[in-house]
Amino acid sequence: MITAGIDIGSSTSKAVLIDEGDMLSYSIMPTGAESVNSARRVMADVLDKAGISAKDVSYILATGYGRVIVPFANEALTELTCHARGAHFLFPNVRTILDMGGQDCKAIRCDANGQLLNFVMNDKCAAGTGRFLELIARVLGVSLDALSDLALKATATIKINSTCAVFAKSEVTSLIREGKNRCDVIAGLHDAIAMRVFNLLRGVGIESQLAITGGLGKNKAIIREIEKKTDLNCMIAEEPQIVGALGAALFARDKFI
Amino acid sequence: MAESTSAKKHLETTLLVPALRRKYYAESLSQTTGQKICWCSNGIPSEILDAFGINAVFVENYATVCASKRLSSGFCRAGERAGFSQDVCGYARILMGYLLGGTEAPEAPYGGLAKADFLVVNSYSCDSRMGWFATMQRTLNIPLYVLDAPYQPGGGCMDEANIVYTESQLLDFVTFLEGQTRSKLDREKLRAGIDLSRRSADIQTEIYEMRKAVPSPMSAGDAYTVVWPGMYMAGTKECDDFYARLRAEVNHRIVNKIGVVPEEKFRLLWSGLPFWYNMALLNYFEDFGGVVAIENAYFRSEKSFPPQHHDPIKDMAITSTIKRPYAGDLEQRLQLTLDIVKDYRIDGVILAYNPSCRLMYLLQPELKNALDCHGIPNVNIECDMADERTYSEGQIKTRLDAFIERMLVLRK
Repeated sequence: MITAGIDIGSSTSKAVLIDEGDMLSYSIMPTGAESVNSARRVMADVLDKAGISAKDVSYILATGYGRVIVPFANEALTELTCHARGAHFLFPNVRTILDMGGQDCKAIRCDANGQLLNFVMNDKCAAGTGRFLELIARVLGVSLDALSDLALKATATIKINSTCAVFAKSEVTSLIREGKNRCDVIAGLHDAIAMRVFNLLRGVGIESQLAITGGLGKNKAIIREIEKKTDLNCMIAEEPQIVGALGAALFARDKFI
Repeated sequence: MAESTSAKKHLETTLLVPALRRKYYAESLSQTTGQKICWCSNGIPSEILDAFGINAVFVENYATVCASKRLSSGFCRAGERAGFSQDVCGYARILMGYLLGGTEAPEAPYGGLAKADFLVVNSYSCDSRMGWFATMQRTLNIPLYVLDAPYQPGGGCMDEANIVYTESQLLDFVTFLEGQTRSKLDREKLRAGIDLSRRSADIQTEIYEMRKAVPSPMSAGDAYTVVWPGMYMAGTKECDDFYARLRAEVNHRIVNKIGVVPEEKFRLLWSGLPFWYNMALLNYFEDFGGVVAIENAYFRSEKSFPPQHHDPIKDMAITSTIKRPYAGDLEQRLQLTLDIVKDYRIDGVILAYNPSCRLMYLLQPELKNALDCHGIPNVNIECDMADERTYSEGQIKTRLDAFIERMLVLRK
């Protein structure tokens, strides 16, 4: 029984195919301006990687901001519910999940069965999201991936006061112009993001088993700062971006149990 | 004019309200009898204005009309161009945009407001209104009367000093109105208006009580509409008839087990003001078997007090100082909502958080903490009640969808 989960996020589209509990393939692509096309492309790619065709997939469940516009999905669920399920599947003891995506951050609490219990999301503010780091990377003229490495090389952490993405960008620019060490400034930025998401986590209550999902789960500097603040070892999937799509595929599988 | 997103109305009586509202605005515009026009804030005792034959225009209601017709963006932008910050109450920005926007403001609904002869604002419940009305007074260059009420710890403290002060304020208000209208207060008419108003209010209380029924006979989508006659036509026979008819229809639905949704799966409480530009959001849960069974704004659970004095002004002064939970301090208001959750068998709470509303600003976060402590599922959605530019469809729907998913799991 092959089922699919497809997660159309603001930055990237993800698809996962599973056969019962085993992952057959996954795909990650930029969402771009046309979410419907992105959904079709990422689905075609994940099928191609698994070497199967669409008719072999019994059920497709969509999630993410674009969940309602996936034309070939059988059903849609929110990414909050799907991230909880996906993270719980990978880490059965997990009770708190931090999904750090392109457009927003979500602190999620789940129960022993991976069911969503509570959540808090950032409101109307891009600070602490993937988009925010993209903006800063562009200002500093480095790649998004390099930001984390530069932060890890810092010898000090320069405090960034602004909690707004736009003002933080101005503050970072000013600090660099003042001649401050670039790595120390970037470390300060990561610290500010970690503080912000830490407050979100406190909003749902942090339990000892914490998983981080979403694209920022790949950023080692952010993880280090969050671990410092929570005093916990975060659980990170091998590919944190696909956790929501995996959860969706698992919900799709439930249809046949 | 932009597309309306009205709530779906489940009751036939609710459908009478738009006509009543149109008539109310049309009458104030078309009056030719020399009746004075007073622009006033919510909470002004309209029975006194009626007793003088003054035509009361409640400007906050007009702001909700503008919002419901999807005109709030244009009016708010015009208000902001006139110098009002986005942090100021959405109602105030809409009205100031209407007054100062000139040709840049949208076309005003119902042909606009009747020209005001004077303004009246009260000092209780919202302090932003005082500044807003003072600004309107400067703009329009007409008299403004501020009806002051003492702070009453615990939502009411019926001590003599309080009663004396309140009575002196009401008498001063009467003197102001006598000066404006060059007439004397008709105390018999006021007495009749107060009695009728209390009768209608008691029917409303009965209806709130009836809404505890399962399945829910009436949703918040209807409720936020049917409060209108009680707020703006209080003390009239038309208002009284309206609520008598509504009560009969609600009763009929309860007796015949006619619910808002065919199979009620979960019951919700809407805490705070609705988003007037998207009232359909109140029906959003119905496709999933959910119903917003009750709301805490405008909620009443107690009958009116019987007349406390033969003199209507003294009577008003005494009854307005008697303890009322909805006018209480933070702890009492929290407890009132927790009681509603219990009494109305509520499964979850929608917290409509509006940073521009100083009345609700503090309550909602505290209420969230209290609900969390009691293990009552809740979701916070942050939007202005009138400025539709603050509404983000994707973000709101993601929160509500996740909340619904949780409700459905709990149902299992």
